[in-house]
Amino acid sequence: MSLIADDIVRFSSVLKIAYNLLTGREYLKRKKFREKKKLISVALPFSDLVYGFPDLVPVFPIRTHTFKMHKYLTYLGSASNIFGWKNVANFLGYIKNMGIGDVSKIIDEIIDNVIDTVNDKYNEMYDIGVENGIPTDFCYGIKILYGMHVTKGKNYDANLNYTIRCSAWNKYLESLKTINNSPKQIWIDIPPRNVGNALELLIENIYDGIRELEKVSGNSYDRNILRNHFQVGNEIRKVYKTILYEISTSDFYPCNPATFSEILVILNNSFQDYNSNAIRYRDNMNSLLYEMKERVRKKIGMDVSNMPKILFTPMFGGWEPKTHEIIYELGGRVLYADWDLLLTLEEIPIKTKTDPVEAYASYLMNITTNGIGCDNDKLTDSYLRIAKKLNVDGLIFNQVFGCHSVSNCFTMLKEKIRRELEIPSIALTFNRIGENIEQVKTRLGAFMEMFRSFK
Amino acid sequence: MDNLELLSEYSLFLREKKEEGKKVVAFISHDNIPEELLDAAGFVPLRLMFAGNDELMDASHDYLSPSTCAFAQSCIGLFSIKPSHYRFLDIIDYFIISNHCVSDICASEIISKYFNIPRLNFYISYTKNDNSGKYFKLELLDFKDQLEKISGIKIKNEDLKESIRNYNNFKKKIFEFSNLNIIGSEKLRVLQRAMLYGPPFLPELESHIQMFKENQVQKTDNLKGILITGGSIFLNDFLIDLIEEAGGNVIFFDTWVGYSYYSQIFEDNIIDSIENPLDLLVNRFKNNIYDDHSVPNFLENKISQIELVYQEYFKKTGRKLGIINHIIKFCDHISLMSSHLKNRLQQKGISVLNLERDYSKANRGQLSTRIEAFLEMM
Repeated sequence: MSLIADDIVRFSSVLKIAYNLLTGREYLKRKKFREKKKLISVALPFSDLVYGFPDLVPVFPIRTHTFKMHKYLTYLGSASNIFGWKNVANFLGYIKNMGIGDVSKIIDEIIDNVIDTVNDKYNEMYDIGVENGIPTDFCYGIKILYGMHVTKGKNYDANLNYTIRCSAWNKYLESLKTINNSPKQIWIDIPPRNVGNALELLIENIYDGIRELEKVSGNSYDRNILRNHFQVGNEIRKVYKTILYEISTSDFYPCNPATFSEILVILNNSFQDYNSNAIRYRDNMNSLLYEMKERVRKKIGMDVSNMPKILFTPMFGGWEPKTHEIIYELGGRVLYADWDLLLTLEEIPIKTKTDPVEAYASYLMNITTNGIGCDNDKLTDSYLRIAKKLNVDGLIFNQVFGCHSVSNCFTMLKEKIRRELEIPSIALTFNRIGENIEQVKTRLGAFMEMFRSFK
Repeated sequence: MDNLELLSEYSLFLREKKEEGKKVVAFISHDNIPEELLDAAGFVPLRLMFAGNDELMDASHDYLSPSTCAFAQSCIGLFSIKPSHYRFLDIIDYFIISNHCVSDICASEIISKYFNIPRLNFYISYTKNDNSGKYFKLELLDFKDQLEKISGIKIKNEDLKESIRNYNNFKKKIFEFSNLNIIGSEKLRVLQRAMLYGPPFLPELESHIQMFKENQVQKTDNLKGILITGGSIFLNDFLIDLIEEAGGNVIFFDTWVGYSYYSQIFEDNIIDSIENPLDLLVNRFKNNIYDDHSVPNFLENKISQIELVYQEYFKKTGRKLGIINHIIKFCDHISLMSSHLKNRLQQKGISVLNLERDYSKANRGQLSTRIEAFLEMM
């Protein structure tokens, strides 16, 4: 590697977000044992409700794990405590620029590890999921999440479960009850369609969920706290969208496109629980955007005008992380935009609704009816919407083995792409990270041939 | 009568209905579709309950990935292969898109979209509580509205109640039939016919009951009792033959084609006491706790149900009942819980075979060996 490492070390905000993502265990241990806070397990970007209770901490389960390079990150974290993240990043960048042998190599290793260690951990969780009863038929995402709960589930005080279109997902959530010492389950049912007064039912379901969270927390729900969090959450969403639609669609990137994709991956992972601290996350996101804009303004980065933009989706349920490097080597740039595709980057409408729960219900209902959709027509429309908004030149559809929900719409999607977008598209199959890399390379090579004359 | 004859007879039945001016509404077999509403609106419900084969599964791969439920694949295959395996599929007027599972949504949508069959929507919540019951009612109202629009007639409460009563009596009769001591394949044959035809099959069902009661009860004592749970055994499937060839006898069909269907009945006084017939359907939905669709208590409910049947059988016969969990490959609901179901039942001393398969013919030998081994072990 080190194109990616070379770039990332200069982004202090990226380092911070990556650091917070991967050192979650220490942070969460402190929260749980020293500050006596309760951990609530969440997955997919459904953590917002938990932030309505200051003594509850949402956590995407992978973050309770220890990562191999934890030692280095701890040093890095300690250094940042003394010198500040910006100075650490500057220092690391300086070392990289000077090419100081061993030190430079260590930095490469740190950054390589940030990326690879997560993937290794995911694969480890995959094996644990299968060993503990998840049939191999199911998608990567479900297997790894089950594995995460088998290994660290006892640390959570509750799981917050939202039912969605995917039946395997809903059953997976139920199956968490089979794990020894499994925590309390809190369910929020999202009605499949917005018919009649379904929205009111969803509001009631959210209030039921809040009452359950109150029991875990021991404190009463305070609408102002939730409302304030939604404000923070909306600011995060706004920055995320700016990165997606302003920076990633521009002709000049603040870093090389593979690094840019890597940043989008880190955002995709960390957005699910805001690294357990929404305010800190918002501040880091703001810094990230600022740093990106500054670099572009100073012309630090890379002209990417001659590189076709490829939308790779869906990747939230598992994908081959080498993809963006391969595409970069083949002359393209990869964009990941799953969360906006599923409409989770839409604002929670607190400006128009006084009751934050009502606002959140509208937000969730919009996701269900127009984003992920309760049917494939809506779902495929979501892909088209994003492809148009990002003005992409090609689309890679990630068919995750065992995914019976989003992966099954490719035929319909392909037809719509041909009819409405007229851009090349392919489907890549994925089962497990690191599997069939050569085949992926070959297929991507053939796909990228179509952009040979791209100007 | 073999299935070929049944299907050709059914084809004639549907054609007659069409000639009477009725329209056919098809749906992928699942236990929460309100057939009574279709019936009250003058439609003929057609439940897709046909097993697959290699050809049908292969034919679906132009539309969805092979790692999709083999039953959903086969349902698509039934429409994509021309001429149709079953000619009556060509006369379907509407197709219900529902969300028993996500493969149900995908397959139904594909059938509707690519084979030009107008869709009707009917979705259900995944959880089961008061609010999901209220949501079910919203869907019923919406569904009723859709049916009224296409039929041009208003569905009156008394007509719906009459349909509910008809279906209820019909299901009670199937329940009575299911308690007869006859060989599983015979039971299944009648069950499948009954569910395919619906209440018009009632007179024939009654004569079957009469016949089996009067004639000597078939000897099944030398066979090992089996409860089949998980995926249904659909029409044209050879699985029941394999079980019987291996020395087993299915005494309880804990599946869509079976208990999940005929157990959903009301006491007559309930039908009379509830004014709005839609509320009856809502109650039925809420009481259907063994439904594999719902979360979060599917596993507990299923275990308690199987345990109950097991204990009753043991009390009655002094013999143990073996459980075959029939897992159609890539089924979200059954497959994901299969190892947990097996472990929990085995902890209670109940033998379970998780029998996973698709509809490939090549699997027949392997399935046979596994069933034989399981029965031997019992």
